Amino acid sequence: MGYDLIYSQVTGHVPYLLGGALLTLQLATISFLVGWAIGLFNASILHFGPHPARLAVQGYVTFFINTPLLVQIFFIFFVLPDAGILLSPYTAVAIGMSLNAGAYLTEIQRAGFQSLRREEMDAATAMGFSVPQMVWYVVMPHIAKTLYPPLSNQFIIQVMTTSIAAIFAVEELTGRAYNVNSLTFRSMEVFSIVAVIYVVLTLACSLALAVLGRWLFRVKARIV
Amino acid sequence: MGLTFLSIQGLSVSYGGKADVLRDVSLDVQRGEVIGLIGPSGSGKSTILRTLVGLLKPRSGTVTLDGQVVDYTSRASLRGARDRFAIVFQQYNLFQNMTALRNVAIAPTLVKKRAKADVEAEARALLARVGLAEKVNAYPDELSGGQQQRVAIARALALKPDILLLDEVTAALDPELVGEVLDTIRALQRDGMTMLIVSHEMAFIREVASRVAFLDQGLIVETGPPAEVFDQPRSPRLKEFTSRILRH
Repeated sequence: MGYDLIYSQVTGHVPYLLGGALLTLQLATISFLVGWAIGLFNASILHFGPHPARLAVQGYVTFFINTPLLVQIFFIFFVLPDAGILLSPYTAVAIGMSLNAGAYLTEIQRAGFQSLRREEMDAATAMGFSVPQMVWYVVMPHIAKTLYPPLSNQFIIQVMTTSIAAIFAVEELTGRAYNVNSLTFRSMEVFSIVAVIYVVLTLACSLALAVLGRWLFRVKARIV
Repeated sequence: MGLTFLSIQGLSVSYGGKADVLRDVSLDVQRGEVIGLIGPSGSGKSTILRTLVGLLKPRSGTVTLDGQVVDYTSRASLRGARDRFAIVFQQYNLFQNMTALRNVAIAPTLVKKRAKADVEAEARALLARVGLAEKVNAYPDELSGGQQQRVAIARALALKPDILLLDEVTAALDPELVGEVLDTIRALQRDGMTMLIVSHEMAFIREVASRVAFLDQGLIVETGPPAEVFDQPRSPRLKEFTSRILRH
């Protein structure tokens, strides 16, 4: 029982797949940026906020880290319509991934607050900075610099995680691969090509992030 | 003799579970005076400065500046205190992610909402005044300790404080860098800046201070002109302290 690789039946679909890769990148970027903002806000509350607000943030983080992302998106996509909130698959996945990333990015950035030199905060306080000013101008640049590698990793994780959107018929890379597969039944060819696209995509992202990091912060991030 | 410029009355501070780091401290300061605060480690010298600028909350006591009571009770009212006092720290505490110019210019633009162009022109002038005109675009980690401390002094002056608080500003410096920072402070004294200086540089305190206050265990034990405090100490604690430092 042999299997003959016939890539010629699939190569015509490569531009279509690459189009999906763009959507993959878009979904990863949006969910990372929203998650990063959520994480920064939450970490500020954990550091500066009153006790009830800290509890709320801890509840959010515990919930989203200890339930599967897929279940979270199912909830957003299938349960919220009962409450009159109808979302497109793309929006539901984007929201789910953002909230999920927000929990992980809270944990990552909390470490940044803890590692901040107390002296810089004293100086900012003594000069009359408000808490949001201190977070934006003093804490955030420190986090971006010292936590650049784990933040970059989280972005790469977001790229991989977008494949979950295929389940909701979002036509990102995996979704489109699924479509091409049902059209051609050349599974080996389709998914080997898709695997290569993912590898190239994430390597390109890692490289771009490393170059950006060096340029921004003189950080020696490991490439790949 | 004008009105007392800064009046501290019965100031008590406790923090970190330690009872009364400052106990009933009172001190009057005239405009243009330079007060040297001396005493052993842990005597509460730095606590006075940190309390004045609102980093520590007083348990009791009042601070009156230029006839107005400074309110330390709420976060909002602290703005008032921070408008009038500026502090320079032992470890410089510069923002590592900002250039020297931005370190100096950020608070006036951000906190006092002043026009960026005006503030930056002033910041350049201040950096020139502390001898760092060439270093406006340098980051803190590209500067020596003495240069960083002079940036920190320029940053405090940019707030146009009524009173400048200097908290052991030369203690973290290599000995050969101390002089440049002391020269900067001497120049400020000549310009009539009112200052409270916590320092272990006794020769320097003797030179620039108009009065010296000796603290021990959270109390002001003795105050007077430098010559009196250093040469004719009255209290046994101060006698012991001066005899020990003079041996060095």
